[in-house]
Amino acid sequence: MNWTKSIRSTVSEKITWDNLLPSEQPIYVSSLVYSFGVFTLSSLVFCIASGVIMAAKGALWYQISPLGSFMRSIHFWSVQAFFFFLTMHLVGQFFMGSWREGRAITWVVGALSFAISVVEAFSGYLSRGDFFSQWNQVQSKDAFNGAGLDGFLNILNNGQVYGLHIAVLPLILIAFVGWHLVLVRSKGVVPPYKARTSKRKEGVSHE
Amino acid sequence: MSKNGKAGRFQRDTLRFPQKDFDMVKEGVISLVVAGVLIVGVAAIWKAPFRPAVTNQEIAKSQPVLVEQTTLGDLDGTGSIASYGPPYNNGFHGQAPQSTQSIFGFHPETWWGTPYAVNTAKDDVITPLSMLATASGNGSLKSALATYQSATFAQQQKWATNYANALNKAKVVNGNVVVPAGDYGPVAMMMNDELSFAKSGLLSGALDRESNPGTIYRYNIQNDLLFLQGAALHGIAQNIDMLGEQWGINHDEQAYPGPWWLTPYTFLYQIPPWSTSSAGDEMAAYSVGILFMLLVLLPWIPGLNKLPKVLPMHKLIWRDWYKRLDRENACEQCPLRAACTKEFKGAYTPDSDVSSLPCYQPITTPASAAL
Repeated sequence: MNWTKSIRSTVSEKITWDNLLPSEQPIYVSSLVYSFGVFTLSSLVFCIASGVIMAAKGALWYQISPLGSFMRSIHFWSVQAFFFFLTMHLVGQFFMGSWREGRAITWVVGALSFAISVVEAFSGYLSRGDFFSQWNQVQSKDAFNGAGLDGFLNILNNGQVYGLHIAVLPLILIAFVGWHLVLVRSKGVVPPYKARTSKRKEGVSHE
Repeated sequence: MSKNGKAGRFQRDTLRFPQKDFDMVKEGVISLVVAGVLIVGVAAIWKAPFRPAVTNQEIAKSQPVLVEQTTLGDLDGTGSIASYGPPYNNGFHGQAPQSTQSIFGFHPETWWGTPYAVNTAKDDVITPLSMLATASGNGSLKSALATYQSATFAQQQKWATNYANALNKAKVVNGNVVVPAGDYGPVAMMMNDELSFAKSGLLSGALDRESNPGTIYRYNIQNDLLFLQGAALHGIAQNIDMLGEQWGINHDEQAYPGPWWLTPYTFLYQIPPWSTSSAGDEMAAYSVGILFMLLVLLPWIPGLNKLPKVLPMHKLIWRDWYKRLDRENACEQCPLRAACTKEFKGAYTPDSDVSSLPCYQPITTPASAAL
């Protein structure tokens, strides 16, 4: 088996321009719910952009300088927006049963992205450098230790927490979000639950 | 697997449904602009919460007795970190670890030994005071430390217990702790000098030095954080509703939203057995892990994976689609009802003969997409 050919054919089948940048979509895509995903992504762009700027200036900058503080505010509200839209997206997709018809892995990757986001956000809260960080760091040590993560993670070591926050977890998150997007695009948005025709009356009802 | 089998069923192409025009790039750009205006606007108006971290120096100045009580607990082993257990230590002076969490004998906390070793008597008291004695040329302190370290454990505990009792009656005079006369051995001087050290602001530096041995780059703030983690930080947290039983981490500074997405996790700390068990943190971590796995595996959980079909929300989300079907009266009136239904399900390709029937309006041809 030729691995190169296999990858090339799989990628060219799954990731076509029509899938990546569609100019058409099924007519049933007609609801505000469908915008939550793209707003989640947009918020993530602002999380990353503001985070990269803060990382470039170093951890003290956003604690002591006015401009750094403003950038931290943008980061803070980006995260709030991200989780708001992410939650709405998740709830919306649940109500649509969006794991149907071969989309289970899309759901799984999305849910895992949510979990990574939660850990990423928490490591960010611990990198804020204020009382909230200080308090939640000493409080959360009992949970991290109790869960057995102490072998890998010293939550009181800010070098480790900061490194996880600005590099390790974002890279994992971006990879998962990218995977989720490719899956969504290659499978297309889930069709509506089928309508059930009724024999009781002339018209058609659905449930 | 046959084309008519499971694979065929799962490969229904959404292109079988009528399509409409869609500009993904435009939608993305509009979304970015809207999100950007909202985020930057809100950030400019409301800024973000920030309450400066609490230092040993501040506590030493505002609550000197509390700092001496904390220091004494670290020295005599009554402090919570002194006897915590893994990953910091194996208890204090032969005493069993006090904070090891275990659910029916399952205690992964202990699997890794003590990778972040803390001996509070040595790390929080003896070593910082030795540094202070050397830096200040304080012979009395040096000799007090020598006396304490050469005394028997029973003697050390006796001095510490006497001083702990005395601290309950202590007065603060000009920022110094004054206790009634008693048999405290070298402990009184050690406590007073540690308080002075903390007031000077240098205690944090000594603790950080220990957490980052052999380097001047101090990224690890473990010992500094652990020194205040007991009564000092709990007192401040309680005043701003940040204790675990006050929904702790859900609360940021007042009026600012906290990490509300942790609500299911925080909720557990409000109810037994999580709120009452000594392994509450371990239980909460694994409970949330299990709940999360339910979310991840939802597509395969019988009943739950059919729930949205029963709930009416999808009718609201796809109301335009269902209205369209109603308007077209879908397949109900059609003489070719079976074929029509199949087409709606995406499993049937109309042939030209069928499409030419006057009663039949195919929904999968380009012409119908404009409907």
